[in-house]
Amino acid sequence: MNAQQQIPRNALVWMIISLFTLAAPHVTRLPVWVLAVYGVAALWRSMVYRGRWSFPGRLVKLALILCACGGIYASYGNMLGLEPTVALLLTAFALKLIELAGRKDAYVLLFLGYFICITEFLFSQDLLIVLYSVLNTTLITTALVALHQPDQHRFNHGSLRLAAVMLAQAFPLMLVLFFLFPRIGPLWSVPIKRHTAKTGVSDVMQPGDISHLSQSDEVAFRAQFQGEIPPRSQLYWRGLVFSRLADGAWRRLRNYEVAPNERRPAPVTTGGEPLRYSVILNPTQQHWLYSLRYAESGQAGVMATADYLLYSPVELEDQYRYHARSWPDAVLEPELSDWRRRTELQLPKGGNPRTRQLALDMRAASASAAAFVGAVLAMFTHQPFVYTLQPPRLGTDPMDRFLFQTRRGFCEHYAYAFVVMMRAAGVPARVVAGYQGGEVNPVNRTVIVHQFDAHAWAEIWLRGRGWVRVDPTAAVAPERIELGLEQAVATEGSFLADSPLSPLRYRGISWLNSLRLRYDALTYQWQSWVVGFNSERQYRVLQKLFGQLDASKLMLILLGSGALVLVPVAGSLLARRRVHPLSPLDHTYLTFCDRLSRLGVVRNPGEGPAAFAERAAQALPHWAPLLQRLTGIYCELAYADANLSPTRSTQLKREFKRGLRRLKRARRPR
Amino acid sequence: MQVLQKSDVKTGLRHRLQQRFQAWVKRRLPPARSVTLDQRRIFIFPSRVGFLFFLCLLVMLLTAINYQNNMSFALTFLLTTLFVIAILHTYANLSGLTIHAVRAKPTFPGQRSEFDIRLERSRQRDHYGLRLAWPESTECVVNLVQTDSIEVRLLTAVGRRGWYSPGRLLLETTYPLGLLRCWTWVDLDLHALVYPQPLPSADLAGLATQRPGGAVLPINGNDDFYGLRNYRPGDSLRQLHWKSLAKGQALQSKQYTAYAERNLWLDWDMFPGVETEQRLSHLCYWVLAFERRRYEYGLRLPGQSIEPGTGEQHLEQVLTALALYQDGSPPR
Repeated sequence: MNAQQQIPRNALVWMIISLFTLAAPHVTRLPVWVLAVYGVAALWRSMVYRGRWSFPGRLVKLALILCACGGIYASYGNMLGLEPTVALLLTAFALKLIELAGRKDAYVLLFLGYFICITEFLFSQDLLIVLYSVLNTTLITTALVALHQPDQHRFNHGSLRLAAVMLAQAFPLMLVLFFLFPRIGPLWSVPIKRHTAKTGVSDVMQPGDISHLSQSDEVAFRAQFQGEIPPRSQLYWRGLVFSRLADGAWRRLRNYEVAPNERRPAPVTTGGEPLRYSVILNPTQQHWLYSLRYAESGQAGVMATADYLLYSPVELEDQYRYHARSWPDAVLEPELSDWRRRTELQLPKGGNPRTRQLALDMRAASASAAAFVGAVLAMFTHQPFVYTLQPPRLGTDPMDRFLFQTRRGFCEHYAYAFVVMMRAAGVPARVVAGYQGGEVNPVNRTVIVHQFDAHAWAEIWLRGRGWVRVDPTAAVAPERIELGLEQAVATEGSFLADSPLSPLRYRGISWLNSLRLRYDALTYQWQSWVVGFNSERQYRVLQKLFGQLDASKLMLILLGSGALVLVPVAGSLLARRRVHPLSPLDHTYLTFCDRLSRLGVVRNPGEGPAAFAERAAQALPHWAPLLQRLTGIYCELAYADANLSPTRSTQLKREFKRGLRRLKRARRPR
Repeated sequence: MQVLQKSDVKTGLRHRLQQRFQAWVKRRLPPARSVTLDQRRIFIFPSRVGFLFFLCLLVMLLTAINYQNNMSFALTFLLTTLFVIAILHTYANLSGLTIHAVRAKPTFPGQRSEFDIRLERSRQRDHYGLRLAWPESTECVVNLVQTDSIEVRLLTAVGRRGWYSPGRLLLETTYPLGLLRCWTWVDLDLHALVYPQPLPSADLAGLATQRPGGAVLPINGNDDFYGLRNYRPGDSLRQLHWKSLAKGQALQSKQYTAYAERNLWLDWDMFPGVETEQRLSHLCYWVLAFERRRYEYGLRLPGQSIEPGTGEQHLEQVLTALALYQDGSPPR
């Protein structure tokens, strides 16, 4: 291996640094042993550098690779997910470092590093992650630069500076490409999927599920309204409708359980000005889109279901933005079909006998269905029911236990009990799950809906009024609806009990809160403009900026912006200060020499002014006096300037210039 | 030169193309003792690593498209434009450098000649990873950091007697990212003189006495003191005349050449019937032998003669005459 192919120590150190920074954001998704591999790799390679250990032999390498593959298979159970693939890439990165001997290995390693940067984005495109990846890219580029600076045996950050400068210079053109590159659909269906757990409300609800979800302070979605934001007590974000109770859990109707002629939503007559809003939903790995009732979207890729929900036919693996219009006062399904009535009255045979009996008794005591609803809500209000984030576990016949023994529950308990009682008494009813409320960000007027805003309520069908929303939780804890979960469980102190560091727990500290809200506003802008930039948005932006686009115009934009960036960069690189700047005097003397060379007398390298003047005078006898005089002036100015008075000096300079002008008119002797 | 040799085995078309190319390069980069690199003299093209990088970018772009991931697009494009920016940086790493031919050391066949060249920067920027090599020489990688010029010595095995031309000097760099190779070939008009191969011959004495002015070879061991002459570098300490130094005069050496004919002549005609190259080799051998023994010797070749003398300069003059016999002009 020759000197050129060796890896300078400086480059090696930068590579080891980037090894760790690359792995850091993946840590939560990696098995612990991969981190151990990282430590061993860094140690081994630095020991090789010091000459204590040697590079691994071929057999050892093979064994390491097999162990890594086996380990990943054992840790993830397969090799074909995004997580195992990334783990494999990261392990390969570490192992490559161990056998890093020549420059070729280093290139492979660093290009792999660039690719690992990209894999991070497949999990998250958060602003912070993106900033962190910029750091990573800079570090890898630094290592690449350091690789080409031989004889740098000390760790230094000269290469970091250059890498940062180059990336900064590359940035503007990157923006141009980002906005101009056509956003075509996937070329083929991606075989490597994420294994990320589904988040948000799931399609099965057991007592305890939503209170569990409410421990999370993650953002579920952000909504922005055109015009006024409705009061928070009206913000019931419908996500799922649970019409079937089986095995102690509520679930939505499977597609095959719906009668074929019932699969389309019944037409709704809408009137008045709708609420217009757009939602950016964070990835859920599920299908439902949250909306206020009654919502229509009209956006491609958003479907409507028979229970008036919005639905995406593909699982939402990335953030998803949709627009919707809602008419809160529209009457839904004024006429109930027989099938629908049967479905919404269905209860399992047996189970919860005391609850059913109670419902029948109360219905008998009420004059109408509406009065019966009022009586049940009054029961929740007046009897000692408690709204709590820590409900006790319920066994068989859960509602009997809840209503007659524990009387402590979260929203899903109340919705569950309410719907069971309605159905038992012959009122069509169903559970609706989604989110209630949300935090209005004063910075940009978005509604931030967190996971702890998850909620379950009920819808009942009343003759002439269609489906009506009833929230039994409001009867127990009205502050949950009016103020939010934090106030509702304030006395209990259980709000976000598991995440002591969540900034949401410190909303009381005003500067911290305003910082959080500002960052959230920034995140919204980021999500809506950068992460959510798609072909539709691209078309609109380009049309707005450049009008109708065609190929030649696009080419012109590309070339123009390229020149706009590259010319200054080239200028800054190539127009550095000269090492030996010429004094103005020397400059004029060189002009003098130039003039003479045009007349056929060329000054030899190393020839002094006096000798040159002598030679020139011989060659051009006609000009001899002038040449001698000018050379004399030059020598006087160059070597005796200190002895000259300023006026004399200026005088001489003028004379020199005059002489030069005369020389310009001189003809070459034949 | 080198390229032509290589192409001998290749097809005729290729040969012609390369000849054309060489001619083009020659027109574009004429020989000069010092060359300042500018856009006319610098070539740039993606390196092999650069193509590997493209492949990597392609994979990244496919990932971005298939996952519809905007940040992946952004990173892919950032690296793409980084490549474009690297073109300028790599070019700037060569631009403004001046290559000066310093000297080429004369040498004997079969040895390696030292070619000294000097790299000088004209702008205040650091230049890294400059690789210099002649087609058949050793290579050298230097940085020009915090210094305005640097001298580089390259070794090349030389060929036969006469002027040896090392061909075009390659100066290349892949700094800063290795994705692009920027290079130039300059003809520095630097040639190394190759002396004849010294070849011992049988007894010279018999041949020498045939001359009318008769050179009688000195007999060692019988030396008497002959006189003093000014000290020349290389005189041995035993020869020094310390007394004159003590008197405050210039340093002098004692001469012991009592029986030696002072004017030894080495003559072309001393080796009748011997073929030219061999004859030159014999002459070379005896020149070196005489110089070692500090004799004064002259050289007569057809058409030129060098008056007897001794010392480094004289030796060089004599050897140069031998080297260039019938082969005077530097090759082009």
